[in-house]
Amino acid sequence: MVKVVIGGQIEKENIARLVRELGGDQIQVEIKSDLQAAADVKAGKADYYLGACHTGGGGALSMAMALLTRAKCAIVSMPGKPPQEAEIARAVAEGRVAFGFTGDHYEKAVTHIVREVLQAKG
Amino acid sequence: MKFILIALIGALAAIMANKEIAVFNDGLRPILPEHAEGRMSRKELAATSFAMCFGLVIGFGIPFSLTASILLIHCILLGTDIIGTFSPDGKKGLVIAGVVGALYGIGILVGLEGVVNAFKLLPVNFMGSLGQVGAPIVIAFAAFPALATGYQYGVKKGLFTLVISLLARQLAVVIGPIKIGTAAITINPEGAALIVGMIILIVFAMREKSDETAVDLASLFSERVKRIKANAPLLMVMGALIAGAAAYHIMAGDPISLNLMKEGKYLDAGFAALARGIGFIPLIASTAIATGVYGPVGMTFVFAIALFVGNPWLAAVLGAVCIGLEVLLLEKVAGFLDKFPGMRRSGENIRNAMSKLLEVALLVGGMNAANAMAPGIGFYMVIGLYILNEIAGKPVVRMAVGPIAAILVGVLINLLALLGLFTPPA
Repeated sequence: MVKVVIGGQIEKENIARLVRELGGDQIQVEIKSDLQAAADVKAGKADYYLGACHTGGGGALSMAMALLTRAKCAIVSMPGKPPQEAEIARAVAEGRVAFGFTGDHYEKAVTHIVREVLQAKG
Repeated sequence: MKFILIALIGALAAIMANKEIAVFNDGLRPILPEHAEGRMSRKELAATSFAMCFGLVIGFGIPFSLTASILLIHCILLGTDIIGTFSPDGKKGLVIAGVVGALYGIGILVGLEGVVNAFKLLPVNFMGSLGQVGAPIVIAFAAFPALATGYQYGVKKGLFTLVISLLARQLAVVIGPIKIGTAAITINPEGAALIVGMIILIVFAMREKSDETAVDLASLFSERVKRIKANAPLLMVMGALIAGAAAYHIMAGDPISLNLMKEGKYLDAGFAALARGIGFIPLIASTAIATGVYGPVGMTFVFAIALFVGNPWLAAVLGAVCIGLEVLLLEKVAGFLDKFPGMRRSGENIRNAMSKLLEVALLVGGMNAANAMAPGIGFYMVIGLYILNEIAGKPVVRMAVGPIAAILVGVLINLLALLGLFTPPA
């Protein structure tokens, strides 16, 4: 069972719904405030953090970066730079646990992240 | 005057980005301490900042500024984020950032005016029609508190708020100016709808009680809060400059107030800026506290103040006071947000609602503008480009597609006219 928390700023409900759809009973999803979500990952209560905002890195990841350090975070999309499958795979392989992307790109980003995360844990 | 203002803003903003005192891009803020504390090289920081900001300048800042001939603040401050992070460490970096920042500010102003003037010289002048891009926003902006309520508390409460706001709007239309003695107070319809909507949202949000044990952000990062406070004087100067420029009506803080300013509806623009500021409190406060880096325009209330006051000098004074108070009260604000988690969530939902509203309004505005330039071609091209952008995985920010597509149609019909394939509508 992989535990995922949704932080970030925008599209939280949609992201959670999509993670549930893709992950089925292999994933447990909870929506939190960005701060609480990052704190949960730090405390080991959750495995992964997903968040969106308008820039991909700001509201999406600021708390995760502050609590978990940048080495544990990955910005997988930015305005004008849609998410890349290979980049997400690399980030998961490197042990990054918090992912930020723009609200515009959440579908693609979440789809790839969930697949990689399940593979990594599977 | 406006060149001096822009140059000063550009220089100071670039210096503050270089010294890691303040950056505009909320996404860049969390990365700065990584460099300041030695975990990231200047080169890496510069590359990241360029990747984060450049697309937004081109795809967001410039198109909006072109359609209204008022500078969207993103044009300047995202550019100075890049300039500041590219400039080297130490005193040399300070000078380089200052000079390049000032030149950049002037360059953007001259460049945009140049483009607008060049467009006006084309055989088919489409600048008049291009102005229509913002038309739907000018009215529709008043709906966003209702949409934020909908995001946060479901469709029913959203619809309730939408209807009540509409009633407030119509009431303002019917009542018209209230005469007290010789003075007449005009109640602005959209402003009334916006305020009523915001009040309903805030009432709902305040009723939410905290159930999770809050992490005390301000005490966790007390060193970083101290750092911001130490930089308060410089931040206040920036607040003064920005408020002055906004009161001078050469600069807007967001696309909604930009379009209202273009129509001369400064009071409406002020209300929109105020409501937007409320939405940005949680984001700015928490990223600032966690990183020790502030935003050059703070929580964006300086724009609202400038638009309400109107006089640039008075706006400058109040702008400085405003940023000073924001910094002084930073921990208080964080504490308040912990007590009222509904307000924190409202911030997210206000921003969500505003961007969705802009997406729809600007798409419709872009379609109308393009079709006014070139009946038939306009709808054909804008809808086509919008969906192609979706297919391509949205390389262009969704809300900028309308304005950009309209500008492209304007250029395109000039090319077609040159080939004898297009005759402008009479």
